[in-house]
Amino acid sequence: MHTHSSIRTLDELKEFLHGAMQLEHATIPPYLTALYSIMPNVNQDAAQILRVIVVEEMLHLTIAANVLNAIGGTPDLTRPDFVASYPAYLPDGETDFEVGIQAFGREALATFLKIERPAARSEHLKAQSPLIHRKSSQHKTVLGSHPRNKDLHFYSIGEFYAAIVEGIKELEEKAKREGQTIFTGDRSRQITSEYYYSGGGELFPVFDLKSALDALELIIEQGEGDGGGIYDDDEHELAHYYRFEELVKGRYYLKGDKPGHPTGPPLQIDWDGAYPIKPNLKVAEISDGSELREATVAFNHRYGEFLALLTRAYNGQPNLLLEAVPVMFEFRNMMLELIRNPLPGHPGLNGSPTYEIGKNTADPYAAHRAEAAA
Amino acid sequence: MLFPSESALRVDPQAVAGSRDYDIVIVGSGISGAIIAKQAAEAGKRVLVLEAGTGANRSLVGYDDLLTTFYSAAAKDNQSPFPVNANAAMPRSPQLRKLQAGETDSSTYIVQSGPYVSDTTYTRIFGGTTMHWEAKTPRMLRSDFKSRTNYGQGLDWPLSFEEVEEDYRLAEQEIGVSANVEDQSYLGQTFPDGYVFPMRGLPLSYLDQQVNNGIDGTSVDLYGRIYPLKVRPYPQGRNGIPNPAYDGGRGYRPVGAVNTHQVEEGGRCQGNTNCVPLCPVQARYHSGKTLAKAFRMNGKSGQPLVELLPQAVASKVVIDPDSGKVSALEVKVYEDPRSPVYETITVRGKVFVLAAGAIETARLMLSSGLRSTSGLVGRNLMDHAYLLNWALMPQICGTMRGTSSTGGIVDLRDGPFREKQAAFAIDIHNDGWGWATGAPTSDLLELVDDRNLHGRELRQGLIDRVSRQLLLAVMLEVMPVESNRITLDPQFTDALGNMRPILSFTVPEYTMRGAAYARQFSRTVFARLGAQDHTSYDRSDFGYVAYEGQGYAIRGGNHLAGTHIMGTTKTNSVVNKNQRSWDHENLYLVGGGSMPTIGTANVTLTLAAMCFRSGRDILNYLH
Repeated sequence: MHTHSSIRTLDELKEFLHGAMQLEHATIPPYLTALYSIMPNVNQDAAQILRVIVVEEMLHLTIAANVLNAIGGTPDLTRPDFVASYPAYLPDGETDFEVGIQAFGREALATFLKIERPAARSEHLKAQSPLIHRKSSQHKTVLGSHPRNKDLHFYSIGEFYAAIVEGIKELEEKAKREGQTIFTGDRSRQITSEYYYSGGGELFPVFDLKSALDALELIIEQGEGDGGGIYDDDEHELAHYYRFEELVKGRYYLKGDKPGHPTGPPLQIDWDGAYPIKPNLKVAEISDGSELREATVAFNHRYGEFLALLTRAYNGQPNLLLEAVPVMFEFRNMMLELIRNPLPGHPGLNGSPTYEIGKNTADPYAAHRAEAAA
Repeated sequence: MLFPSESALRVDPQAVAGSRDYDIVIVGSGISGAIIAKQAAEAGKRVLVLEAGTGANRSLVGYDDLLTTFYSAAAKDNQSPFPVNANAAMPRSPQLRKLQAGETDSSTYIVQSGPYVSDTTYTRIFGGTTMHWEAKTPRMLRSDFKSRTNYGQGLDWPLSFEEVEEDYRLAEQEIGVSANVEDQSYLGQTFPDGYVFPMRGLPLSYLDQQVNNGIDGTSVDLYGRIYPLKVRPYPQGRNGIPNPAYDGGRGYRPVGAVNTHQVEEGGRCQGNTNCVPLCPVQARYHSGKTLAKAFRMNGKSGQPLVELLPQAVASKVVIDPDSGKVSALEVKVYEDPRSPVYETITVRGKVFVLAAGAIETARLMLSSGLRSTSGLVGRNLMDHAYLLNWALMPQICGTMRGTSSTGGIVDLRDGPFREKQAAFAIDIHNDGWGWATGAPTSDLLELVDDRNLHGRELRQGLIDRVSRQLLLAVMLEVMPVESNRITLDPQFTDALGNMRPILSFTVPEYTMRGAAYARQFSRTVFARLGAQDHTSYDRSDFGYVAYEGQGYAIRGGNHLAGTHIMGTTKTNSVVNKNQRSWDHENLYLVGGGSMPTIGTANVTLTLAAMCFRSGRDILNYLH
């Protein structure tokens, strides 16, 4: 099957934007799990950095939904493949690397650094196709892959977004020539800063080419950085990569520092200050009938309901985002329960959220809740 | 990022002492000082802010440390997040005891002069008392500015509501008030055409709604006049939904926190119910947000315009005998909160602003020997008197959900009855009986220790008990009385050798008459709700006051005011209507202390509005 890297139809663009939403969501479970694996009263700096970044990923997810809505799409976070199967793979130039669910620690941090550092091509490779054949197993999720051919992934997330930006420009130009526009979406479906703020960037309505490009630029800049200085353009925000690097180096950056050489005050990392969760745990590995298994399934169920709620919010009911707030508290508590309890039959290891959404869908707690409500 | 790079630029006390280019020196980093500092920086002025506390909570890690202290504290009082610092001590209500008439208790920071003991508090830390305030932001009513003329009580302000109205809007913008104009247009309150608050009103809690269901449509008769009852939402200084119609359709952007990264700016209110003493997500306004903006402003040379010198306790205002102007401040800079070692530096500037709160500003003036021509420094001390009433609702009401207080009964804030007795506003407390009884901890202890409950019965017992709790906190008007005052005595000093405030306060009869009525009123409300009254006032309570054969426990409101009131002449007041000292032309005493009366409005919004006015006057003076 021949696959072009460029986007030729509006439907194809919609699929790419769904892919963008999937990609932006995919980093949330690893970051969130690492964040909640941190033990109380330790690793305050690490927890803060993770929180900042996870909030920005949520912003990016919402921005991608705004762009999709602007071109008349219908964001759907309940598609069977929307939540990646972990470990998932992210493109890293010619190859790809594993992004898994694991506790906060050196290994997790190494992965996060890779996530936040875009692969840049050397000059002589620039003319080549942006699409790369996957190296990882067929059964795994590769993020940033081509919507029509999952065997091909983009060289980097940056190039994946570059394809979207080009696609939007070309399709809109073509539509304009015919006296039309691709921005036909209902503006009331846009999520605006009324419903989402203090989230690491401005959430603005997308309704034309300029606002769409501004929106995508925000994702690209925050997510990928420009590979240049340690601070972004306005010299105020430290790029994600360097935030994580501060943890590795155990020292804060100051303005004017050279990459790799922070000179600010030291910060404390307690590498043992996280609960030892079993990486990439699956429900099937947890003893049948155990309370932990029930709780794990219940979390997956609740997380699935949360994605369904977000889907409704992104489909014309932005005020539902207010309801999403207590749900996030609820599943945080559920995650803490999993992470802080031992995994039966695996001495020294704890449970973990598995993010197997749409599988094992029976909610074992539904009966309990009905009883409590009665 | 926990570490804001700005704070790497530590201010050196010697450099501060050697500096001759401060336009404005401000004592205190609470909301008054913060507003004036930011306004001055916007005009390109050099500002030094002196803060008695360590300033550690200027960074997010410091703020989070306060939260950790709060979470691990056994008693969750107003000051529980704030570590003990003998060099900048502050009143802490759990330390109080009952006193007899003529008895003095100097065991706490504020020396209490019996018989009435006030548990009023203020916070000596970066951000001042906005670090623990509840953030209710009602405006004073039009009639509150003229209570002498209207009711023959208290004093008239030298300012009318109309003169303050625009500054109220500036204060609402700075704080980011959440409210709806239609909810606040009661008792003759008006707003300019098209005005909306920066953010939409926060919803009433389920408890508020349950109370409203029981009283809406009913009324009370007071001296032959009918007052309809309903639960109205309070305007609040906490982040809700920004109103897109704000500022002529430009909308409002909630900004600011102790740190400058956007994600670390104040989040949206999540209903954590520990607004007091500290919001975990900085949804509630504190003046660190205003200062964070001020600290980011640079002068022509690229240097920050506003400097903060923490661990700096102003100890003396030095007056030039020829001009009568303030020539300098003597400041004790301590090295470590655990040690009383300090050095005294002298700070110079063109204008000096004392913004340390009603008690500390008066203390600093008095310890500098500056009683003012009127002799009123320290006098007319006011604080809202609170009378707590608590009952169990017949049904589960979801108590402990929502912010500390979202709604109240406020229709008796004004009326002709104010000729005879104090007006009041009632807060419905979403945190149950906590303030009155120490709930829910007290309920847990009782159910476990006295009733031997455990397991399912214990859980159910707590739900039955706690989620039906209703606390009506009646906030009563207190008028200025010259004998209610702060004084000093060299025998009572703190760790740095500064004289501590001595508080002498008698709850005025006008207020007690209002309290007696408010008690009856609360019983009426409870009866209409079918709620079981559990209120009782203990004779051994430190705030116990007998009035006409009944006893009441009166609590302080932490709404301190009146120690340097504003007025029309240097003989009837300490400051003019711009909060400038009548006696010293380059000295401003700002904050609640300037208020001649406080009506039934929590004082912060009004004192913030006045500081915008003073800020403009200071800039005029400097030009």
